[in-house]
Amino acid sequence: MMKISFTINGENQIVDVDGETPLLWVIRDGLDLKGTKYGCGKAACGACTIHVEGNAVRSCSYPVKMAEGKNIITIEGLSTGDNLHPVQQAWKEEVVPQCGYCQPGFMMATAAMLNEIPKPTDKDIDQNIINICRCATYYRMRKAIHRAAEIQSQSPSL
Amino acid sequence: MANKENREKSKGLRRRKFLKYSGVGMGLMLGGVWVSRNYSRRYFFDLVETMVPTYIGDTSPLVWIQISPENKVIIHSSKVEMGQGTFTSIAQIVAEELEVDIDQIEVTHAATDTGNVDGFGTGGSLSIAGLWKPLSEMAATMRLMLSNEAAARLGVSASQLNLENGKISAGGSTITYGEIVAGVTEWSFPDAPKLKKRSDYKYVGKPVPRVDLHDKVIGAPIFGIDAEYPDMVYASVVRSRLVDAKMSNFDTSAAEKMPGVLKVVNENGFVGVIANSFFEADNARHKIKFDYTTNKVWNLSDVNEKIKVGNGKKIIFQKEGKAVDDIDEEGEIIEMEFSTPIGAHAQLEPNGAVAYYQDGKVELKLSTQVVDFTRKEVASALGIDKNDVNVIPTFLGGGFGRRLHTPHAVQVALMSKAVGKPVKCFFDRKQEFQNDTFRPPSHHIMKAKVSESGALLGLEHQLASGDTMFNSALVPSVSATILRADIGSIRGGAIMYDNIPEIRASYYHSELPFATSYWRSLGLLANAFAIESFLDEIAIRTKQDPIELRLKYLSDNNPYSVRIKNVIKACAKKAAYREGIVDGKAMGFASTIDIGSPCAHVAEVSIEDGRIKVHKVTVAFDCGVAVNPDQVRAQVEGCVCMGLSASLYEKMDLKDNKLHPVNYGAYRIAMMRDVPREIDTVLIQGTDIPGPVGEPPLGPIAAAINNAVRRLIDKRLTSLPLNIS
Amino acid sequence: MFSVITLGLANYSLIVKQPHSTIEILSSDEISDDPNAEKSFDMMMDVLMHKRCVNCHPAGDTPLQGEDSHLHNFGIVRGEDGHGLAGYTCGTCHQEENNKISGVPGAPEWAVAPAEMVWEGKSRVEIATQMMDPARNGGRTPEEIEKHLTEHELVLWAWEPGIDAEGMPREKPPVPVDEYITAVKNWIHAGAVIPAQ
Repeated sequence: MMKISFTINGENQIVDVDGETPLLWVIRDGLDLKGTKYGCGKAACGACTIHVEGNAVRSCSYPVKMAEGKNIITIEGLSTGDNLHPVQQAWKEEVVPQCGYCQPGFMMATAAMLNEIPKPTDKDIDQNIINICRCATYYRMRKAIHRAAEIQSQSPSL
Repeated sequence: MANKENREKSKGLRRRKFLKYSGVGMGLMLGGVWVSRNYSRRYFFDLVETMVPTYIGDTSPLVWIQISPENKVIIHSSKVEMGQGTFTSIAQIVAEELEVDIDQIEVTHAATDTGNVDGFGTGGSLSIAGLWKPLSEMAATMRLMLSNEAAARLGVSASQLNLENGKISAGGSTITYGEIVAGVTEWSFPDAPKLKKRSDYKYVGKPVPRVDLHDKVIGAPIFGIDAEYPDMVYASVVRSRLVDAKMSNFDTSAAEKMPGVLKVVNENGFVGVIANSFFEADNARHKIKFDYTTNKVWNLSDVNEKIKVGNGKKIIFQKEGKAVDDIDEEGEIIEMEFSTPIGAHAQLEPNGAVAYYQDGKVELKLSTQVVDFTRKEVASALGIDKNDVNVIPTFLGGGFGRRLHTPHAVQVALMSKAVGKPVKCFFDRKQEFQNDTFRPPSHHIMKAKVSESGALLGLEHQLASGDTMFNSALVPSVSATILRADIGSIRGGAIMYDNIPEIRASYYHSELPFATSYWRSLGLLANAFAIESFLDEIAIRTKQDPIELRLKYLSDNNPYSVRIKNVIKACAKKAAYREGIVDGKAMGFASTIDIGSPCAHVAEVSIEDGRIKVHKVTVAFDCGVAVNPDQVRAQVEGCVCMGLSASLYEKMDLKDNKLHPVNYGAYRIAMMRDVPREIDTVLIQGTDIPGPVGEPPLGPIAAAINNAVRRLIDKRLTSLPLNIS
Repeated sequence: MFSVITLGLANYSLIVKQPHSTIEILSSDEISDDPNAEKSFDMMMDVLMHKRCVNCHPAGDTPLQGEDSHLHNFGIVRGEDGHGLAGYTCGTCHQEENNKISGVPGAPEWAVAPAEMVWEGKSRVEIATQMMDPARNGGRTPEEIEKHLTEHELVLWAWEPGIDAEGMPREKPPVPVDEYITAVKNWIHAGAVIPAQ
């Protein structure tokens, strides 16, 4: 058991837990942030994707001890107050989700990509977005990603 | 409004007025094994009485629809939402007839305690098809009940009332539904009034955004795995890694000593660890030692030996004429074999449940497609009355037929009883892959006789596969004797081209040493792959246009054939179907009908870096009335991409009794880069009621891709996943 | 770039002097004068050509994975700097140490080797030549190469490669780590002589 402190969605947190615990469970069960999902536990599906220091990280394969001092964002923190992130707005406009389980992971991966590639081509999207959606909503996701890029370019910097 | 007293009182009325609904949707279900004449149709229609309908539950508006004093409408749905958009269509139908704004509506999963329990379950693409009429009538009836009450209160006649967006006004006075409801404790039930005219529809037929959209975009905790209770603990259960093997000699001593462990249960046929966190429970579970005793060694080759035409119990399910070998007329006999592999569901949310056992009763929150069956199984295992079990269904992180079996709910309930606290327990991904209820593999022999002039004299489909519906929750085991066939595996296996003079289809059924059951559209994917690839081959060999060939062998004599033809024509036209290779791309066509909804695909395909690349799929789909055309398109898109995934990448292997792979990646599923850049959908309304949507669009994709590949590599591939290396 | 000519039979050696490095290619006669160096070379290359190393020195843009060195799942590519792209980086899944629970391997600076350092499909001579060439090894001197090969945690990870997602231990290189380190040092100190064949 060890004390680990980090910032999550803008708030400081200290947890006292076995350091090897995947951050996923600390987020979901310790901090009751359920938006980040368990899909495989082996970093294969991306449903658990969060941002650590702005980079996409699969929290099922990230022991909580590594979160010490880090700045973490989950899907809950992607929006600011009532304002949805451009990715979330675009996801709504294009009515992307079906079952919805994998969607937070995709939105987090997309947001990370848009931070570095603000105007992705279809090829960029194909190469960068490698999460798994069993409902196969990829077709609409692609449209939503282009739309998100558009929304992001129109809004003042977030 | 859903007041228990009212429910009791109205039960008598309910039975009388709404009993007729229990038989709805039967014709559509039988359409799943589409047949055109004589033997087969008679065979299936005889079974009408014994077949379960597509919705068996309470049709009292009071049980379904709740109106709060704040004028919010809460619909308790006994059909579950797994992404197929049912909640949204339900909201649209109710908003329409109840005259409320769709934003006033919240659709929620009906806990079994509300009394709204569907004995059928959610599956078969039959939720909206089955609920369309009863739900419309329930909502209309409730509107009338509210009107009658408002008329009395306002002192006017019903005809003077104006209803809009949950408010009733007359002569300057307005009263909301919520205000009406707040003042009433006893309701009388009028007969269901006439339903709205199509031309007056505000919601039905419109692309209303999904009602669960916001929650799914903010990551709201709506899924089974998100469910909680205060003071809840976590469990992990030992599950078999081998097929046809028994686990025994459990040594849980090391597990018991692991940090955080509260209890290890080893009774009732399973072993589980209960701990303060999932991490601790799972770590401890891995320390449990036990032995496997295998009954027989199984490798994939053994499975393939079993699932072979000619092997197993034979059932003829379509017999409209002679066998191909008995056709006298001169001609050439063409024969081809096809096969498809074992398929995994791989839905993203693992199976599991949260259960809270207290004082002889238990409450469960879980993702299930068979709410009533889950309840009955848990009640039976715990030896309590089913009314002492409250199942609260959650949004499903993917269903696809996997959650038509939920025996794990029993385990969680028992563990809660053992430890005296609420327990959450879920499969891990490896357990999901090795304890799936797989899509069974299949083997097909297609046979045709073609005259010298290219006329199709006869067509035969022989199919071998494993169970889908047998031994499952949805169809009682007695069905095996009654049906003498596994309807699931033969779905899509009957030949729909009724102008072919002699048609036959038969099924060889074998049991496999691992669970096989429903995978989205059941036998349709495999059967359509075989039939539509074969027909395309015949077209090529007899130098006929594949579209013309199909149209030629569909009559005008029955409504299904006509609808199929319209879909074929619309698809070919939209895709501008052409032969040949242009810019490295070829087109492939296929058409199917599944549970009454015809669908056709044209796939535009090229070979790139030695791999099959699908650039565009054009779809024509007829589901009758599209309650939500945007969501119908979404289902089409999902079916195309999921079907593409199964056609190009997916297969399970079996070695030394171990099913593998056991994770995404190794079990390759289509990703963003694999799906077409364009999916062009034409919706056709071929009938005036909503028909099945969630599965039928899967039918044509495997053959459509295969038929394009045929033109690219000048070779006919005959097994899935398609491989050109 | 420079070109080197070797005449096997004649006692002729061409030494090209580059800043901060020396590459010598000697005839087989001269190599046989120092059998230990050649043995060290072989030992070192036995390691460097093992899948634990070659998996991340792929011929294409996608690293290799697993005991059968299949192409890394999910179409992962090296990206511009070997750390992946933007929607994902190597660090999306791989951390600074192996993960026992997910089976994902990890070590500090986990990345795919740059395109100049392709090892897959090459012979040991080709790899060694490339490795000692400052134009292709990131401008490193032999001393720096020695340090990299014997001290860098990512390299030494090969001997503690952890378990995979199935709980199976990954195969280690065929030479124990201490013998390998000795071999590298021996070889470098003996002049980093690469045999002709």
